[in-house]
Amino acid sequence: MDALLEQIINGLMMGSIYVLVALGMVLIYGVMQVVNFAHGVLFTVGGYLAYFFYTRLFPSYPLAVLLSMGSLGIIGFALERGVFRPLAGNLRNQVIASLGLILAIENLVVAIWGPNALQFRVSATDVLVPVGELRFSVQHLAIIGITLAMVAALGVFLKYTRFGTAIRATSQSREAAMVVGIPVERVHWSSFAIGTALAALGGALIGPLFLVFPQMGDAPLVKGLAAILLGGMGSVPGAVAGGMILGVVESVSTLFLPTDYRDSIAFVVMVAILLVRPQGLFGRRMRGED
Amino acid sequence: MKKSIAASALGALALVCAGTAWAQNKVTLGIVTSLSGQMAAPGVFQMNGFRLAEEELNSGGGISVGGRKYPVELKVYDTRANPSEGASAMQRLATVDKVPIVLGELSSGVAAAIAPIAQDYSVPFILTVPTGPNLTEENNPYVFRVNANNLQLNRALSDFLAKQGWSPIAFIAWNNDAGRGGVNGMRELLPAAKNGYVGYFNVGEVDFSSHISNIRNSKTQAVMLFMDEEPGSLAIKQIRDAGLKVHLIGTLAMGSDRFLKRLDAQKLDGMVQYNAFPPNASAPRIKAFSQRYKAKFGEEAHGFAAQSYDGLMVAAEAMQKAGTVTDGKAIREALTKIEHQGVIGTIKFDRKGQAHPAVYVTQWCSNGTRRIIYPESAKGACGTG
Repeated sequence: MDALLEQIINGLMMGSIYVLVALGMVLIYGVMQVVNFAHGVLFTVGGYLAYFFYTRLFPSYPLAVLLSMGSLGIIGFALERGVFRPLAGNLRNQVIASLGLILAIENLVVAIWGPNALQFRVSATDVLVPVGELRFSVQHLAIIGITLAMVAALGVFLKYTRFGTAIRATSQSREAAMVVGIPVERVHWSSFAIGTALAALGGALIGPLFLVFPQMGDAPLVKGLAAILLGGMGSVPGAVAGGMILGVVESVSTLFLPTDYRDSIAFVVMVAILLVRPQGLFGRRMRGED
Repeated sequence: MKKSIAASALGALALVCAGTAWAQNKVTLGIVTSLSGQMAAPGVFQMNGFRLAEEELNSGGGISVGGRKYPVELKVYDTRANPSEGASAMQRLATVDKVPIVLGELSSGVAAAIAPIAQDYSVPFILTVPTGPNLTEENNPYVFRVNANNLQLNRALSDFLAKQGWSPIAFIAWNNDAGRGGVNGMRELLPAAKNGYVGYFNVGEVDFSSHISNIRNSKTQAVMLFMDEEPGSLAIKQIRDAGLKVHLIGTLAMGSDRFLKRLDAQKLDGMVQYNAFPPNASAPRIKAFSQRYKAKFGEEAHGFAAQSYDGLMVAAEAMQKAGTVTDGKAIREALTKIEHQGVIGTIKFDRKGQAHPAVYVTQWCSNGTRRIIYPESAKGACGTG
């Protein structure tokens, strides 16, 4: 029983990280129809920048996380302006550009911080909270809490603010949005900036729990993509549900199966669900698709 | 004007002559190691050992062969833990640099790629760090290994563990040759390990929570970690944080001050690990080496450095005994007969080219020092490990 509870909490924690990655990718995909494969390395940069701010500038972890998110927001804005907008209208080139960004950014990270993993020590990882027989670090539980708060905030923003409505409108129909006077370009770069800031949050939250290293974004990228497919391409609630389901299923599976199957279990579940619901859990079937 | 050109030409000629004359007076030894890539950190220890040996040999004028002293020079190639880099470095050392002997390497995979080329060119290859047992099982007469291999390390550890009576023993191990080989080896040697939980993780994985749940579930008494420093520190932190009441068993990488810096004494307290070189042991040869090492490099001596230092000293003694600094075959012959008193103990190669240095088990004390608890003859108080 303890083991199940432990794995569910672990799964929710990893799932939260997948959700943060998936949400950013969904936002960008929604308004620009492009899958940003560089999202994983931006996650990595988020972890490194939080480490940098915390160890070199201000010894306050929350501030370091916020600064990392802000910096990544600016980087996201610059990437949209510098890379994705000039290639607008050509999906293939945008995808290739995002793959190229992976190489460029990952090697930049190695050039600046070196290839070895860094330890990012934060007091929240040393304070333990007992849950029955089990113990979890504050950081562990904070990741779940912060992600849920972020999801709620994003939901409110998209649903109840003018600009959030503009983002939703643009993702439904770019032309119609332009016709009614929505500043589509602003929607593009701000979605990109919000998306990359969410990735940074993921990297900055997981870094102290484990390590900060150049490949730390690889697994979250793949799992984030899987979460989006599982939840339904372009659906925000779908990304949240998809990420959490993936996290919990792969964690709980290790109680019954060897742990080296963990990654494959997640994808078996994804394939199984897509066989039954090809549009994903929350996706809507579009006319003309089958 | 003309005069000055002639003068400088003469000068240049003189320099060239001096250069060649000097070159004939020294002996160049080949070194393969990792200066960059994933093995760069342990590569530093290996190079430190070689550099210390080089310095000490040269401060006495070099290797004396046939009544002459040859200063030692090292030709170093970075193999970056990549077998094809290793193979091409060995090729170059044998054909371009024409070295009489090659030493070093960290990764067993790279060493396996180098060994057949060493044999092709009759250049003895002395391993000082790789632990893959198969390297000295290939009947390659040109391969020698100074350090203990995994079988020897596991044998010492299982001998120690059998006396502790911990059962069952669980494993968390790399999902690769080293990890799976290590687990299988221990399970063969130790009945208590047969029914314990075994979890493998891939390189780059950092979350051990699922292994921890399974270990708690299986009422394990001890957990053995087959991994290096980085995942090791994560696994120990996560196991201790989760409140598992288990004995921890580690590898070579987990018995150093460097490792302590990643965690803290409280988390390591009581953990045991096999160890090829306890830098604080009271044996005079170890003490003296540790002091010289600390004086030169400003940090605690490392087993990889001691093994590599001994490797170079063995090579020097073999050349001296063979009476040549060029003939690889004669040097190989001398290596098979050598009995060298090194830092890590007596180095004498068996028929397969494997030496049998002492293997220790050390344990962390609550104050962040270590003590030797195996073998009985070397047992010591906290601060000796």
